[in-house]
Amino acid sequence: MGFLTSAFLAGLAALAIPLLLHLRHRDRDKPVPFPSLMFLEQLTIRTEQRQRVSDWPLLLLRLLLLLLLVVAFARPLLRSRNVAGTDSRSRAVVVLIDRSLSMSYAGTWQRALDSARATIGQLEGNDRVAVVAYDDDAETRQRLTGDRGAATGALTGLTPRARGTRLAPALRVARQLLLDAPFSAAEIVVISDLQRSGATGIAGVELPAGVKVRAIPVGPAQWDNASVRSVDARRVVQGDRTLLAVKARIQQQGEAASRARSVTLVLNGREAASADAQLNATGETVVTFEPVPAPEGAVALQVAMTPDALALDDTLVAVVPRDDDLTVALRGAGSDALYFERALEIGRAPAVQVVRSGNTARAAVRVFWDELPDAGTTEWIEQGGGAVVVLGRRLSGRSGSISPLLPVTLAGSADRVADRGGTLRDVRTEHPLFQPFRETDEALGAVRLFRYARVDASANADVLARFDDGNAAVVERRVGNGRVIVLALPLDNNAGDFPLQPAYLPFVRQLVLHASGRDAVPLWRTTGERWALPGTITEPVVEAPDRSLLRPGSDSLGAAVPLSDAGVYRAFRGAVSGEAEAVLAVNVPANESVLTPMNTTELLLGVSTGTDSLRTTGAGPATDEELERKQSSWRVLLALALVALMVETIVASRGRRGTARRVTPASKTERAT
Amino acid sequence: MPVAPAAFLDPALLAKISDLALLARAVVDGYMHGQHRSMRKGSSLDFAEHRSYQPGDDLRRIDWRVYGRTDRFYIKEYDADTNASVLFAVDTSGSMNYGSGAVTKFAYARMLTASLAWLSQAQGDRVGLATFTQSLVDVIPPSVRHLQRMLHTLAATDAGGPSQLVASIEKVGLLSQRAGIIVLVTDCYEQPEALGRAVDALRMHGHDLIVFHVVDPAERELPGDDDTTFEDAESGNLLPLKPRALREKYQTLVRAHHDALQSRFAAAGADYVRLDTSEPLDRALHAYLDARLTRGRVR
Repeated sequence: MGFLTSAFLAGLAALAIPLLLHLRHRDRDKPVPFPSLMFLEQLTIRTEQRQRVSDWPLLLLRLLLLLLLVVAFARPLLRSRNVAGTDSRSRAVVVLIDRSLSMSYAGTWQRALDSARATIGQLEGNDRVAVVAYDDDAETRQRLTGDRGAATGALTGLTPRARGTRLAPALRVARQLLLDAPFSAAEIVVISDLQRSGATGIAGVELPAGVKVRAIPVGPAQWDNASVRSVDARRVVQGDRTLLAVKARIQQQGEAASRARSVTLVLNGREAASADAQLNATGETVVTFEPVPAPEGAVALQVAMTPDALALDDTLVAVVPRDDDLTVALRGAGSDALYFERALEIGRAPAVQVVRSGNTARAAVRVFWDELPDAGTTEWIEQGGGAVVVLGRRLSGRSGSISPLLPVTLAGSADRVADRGGTLRDVRTEHPLFQPFRETDEALGAVRLFRYARVDASANADVLARFDDGNAAVVERRVGNGRVIVLALPLDNNAGDFPLQPAYLPFVRQLVLHASGRDAVPLWRTTGERWALPGTITEPVVEAPDRSLLRPGSDSLGAAVPLSDAGVYRAFRGAVSGEAEAVLAVNVPANESVLTPMNTTELLLGVSTGTDSLRTTGAGPATDEELERKQSSWRVLLALALVALMVETIVASRGRRGTARRVTPASKTERAT
Repeated sequence: MPVAPAAFLDPALLAKISDLALLARAVVDGYMHGQHRSMRKGSSLDFAEHRSYQPGDDLRRIDWRVYGRTDRFYIKEYDADTNASVLFAVDTSGSMNYGSGAVTKFAYARMLTASLAWLSQAQGDRVGLATFTQSLVDVIPPSVRHLQRMLHTLAATDAGGPSQLVASIEKVGLLSQRAGIIVLVTDCYEQPEALGRAVDALRMHGHDLIVFHVVDPAERELPGDDDTTFEDAESGNLLPLKPRALREKYQTLVRAHHDALQSRFAAAGADYVRLDTSEPLDRALHAYLDARLTRGRVR
């Protein structure tokens, strides 16, 4: 028990006031008038009675009122943990247990569980504990509780998952747990192998002041680990067969000696090839499988090697997209489309087949070379087709809106010969169309363009690139499930030198891929990401690697699935039957295989503890001010004083001291009797 | 003559009448209605003496029988229904401004004085007023025309302040050289012996004295049960005490005081009437008329 402003206790001297009033002046409050004291003064008055307190309840009430006021102003606080409330001021421990892939290293997980149980078992008395399991995400297994059995039970069923490691979200969860429940002391115990890669982002975590962070490293003292780092797969045509050439890169890390490992290639669940590899002591080893016949459609492949101490990263999955040739129907083109045609024919996976005439019904992309789309194009685009309209000399001579399908209005042509040609500007490299130029956006800057059509984009269109005079160069508009792309950017070598530039080949290839909706997709993605399902899949059902089914709700941005497990995800339309509409491989981030631990001091230095947060959150060893503010006893005391004041008012005005009762004279008849 | 109901003698009801003249008339008429007496009738026919005729005397007053026997003119004189001077001396000190019931002692004294003055006026007496506290405050000499002025003064007077009863009584005695009736209305907070001496002085001047001792019931009983501080209405002195414990002694003292007053005033030849403010006024009127009839007649 203490007082924050003990100087106010001097006010206790005021307790003498009501005492004196009751002893000395108690009778002077409301004297009763009397005609004359002539006879009363003759009576013997016992003075000792007069100085006795006659109204104890009232005096005590007034003393209590003053006492409450003085103590309230002195702002009392209870420092004793027992008195101050065991629940709100106990020690809190949050156990963060790492369950990322790296924790499955031989023996690590068992040590982690043992450490967690030991930490819980070491708690005292009213200490409370919470359990948070984390990988690249954090899951609160048990909120702060005094029940150690429940905390230990929260560890049951925990196993390492094929996920990456991110300590920062777990620390934020722990911080929130501590903020939600007051405590007198707090500790966050991190039970992990302390991978250096997992510490990314912890510098941004600010814990309440006074919260200790303790790391219990459970990783192996010496470690070595080999992992399938990446896979390169491509289809090769050999005669009339299409083969799949797979190359795996295996990374060996740690303090291991050179050793031989067996590596197996599995295609669509069937072992297709195997190879023995002599892994370098440290570094990358490339394992090249013999080309194997490529299955039809998308191929889910798996490269696995004989497991080592960390088995989960010894397998890597990938999906090689279907190798349907991409057919491009080229209409209206003359000799000036030669570069375009030749450029598209270069490259595989997919191979692009340009069709100038004949049956173009199977074409995924229709390129209208300086001519307007025909009547059925709109419907075809709405069903998922892609159209590219290249504005050439003919169309640029027109003005105004030349087709309702095109998201542009023409305004003549620009001749930039005089100023040595115009260039591209404001290229939106974040757009998939310019994905090849994200790292080298200067490649497009070298293009010189002498003549091009001046177009104004309509309101519902995206301008993906502009000329340096401000006119739109590339305009895209989505129509139904497809898209139409209008190029004012000349693709021939008459109106510019674009075909002569290195950027031309990737651009036109990406142009038709993007127009067809078959943008280059990675062979796999990593856990923790989200998979945006293709818009062509209606009522999608996704089969997760563990065979569980996910039915993502779709909104205006389409449906997306969180990729929480490593493996192959398959998306179906409506129900899981037949061939999957889309397949995606998901792997653990490659850095999860690097078990290089960081120093615990490094971790402690990384986590900052706030100073002001102590004041606002009530965390940490509470100061007197904080204790007093939390207890707020003065409010209760003031409320009691108010009640005492009201009672005093009632008691004081009950007539006992106010006015003496008048003696009612007996009536005449009463006197006569 | 309109007749007031007897209920109008109740001081609690009379206190509601603000017009003293109306109050006094109601009281007197109500009282006289009950008495069925005419104070004037025959009072001027009582033979007093004979005296020699002086030129200018009314020939009708010559006693012809005496002339027949003595051959001298004698005038027959009667006891005159003379205008007696009635001076009301009213105590207006602070102690009179006390009342535990409907009326204070001063209000009662005012009603009493007004009623008696009205009655006296009706009987042809000269009425005057002297109010006093430590000394005389308002003095209205006795006159047959001073009733209204007297009532007005009474109505405008408030009781308050300390009193010196003995000195005031002595000064009242000096107001009139002519012997008359002095009606003293007070609460008699003075030593009986001192009061007796003052009354003796008045009697020596030939005044007839009627003392109306106005007493509030609470004065006799001592009010309150719990510890109480009593405040002297005149001096403001405070006296804390326990009324319950002292009541019996107090009442004994008061009774002794009253008895002493009665015996002392009787010894001085004054009428002493103790009036309770809860009592109707008829007892006071009755006592006054008795005294008036037996002593108030002057030649």
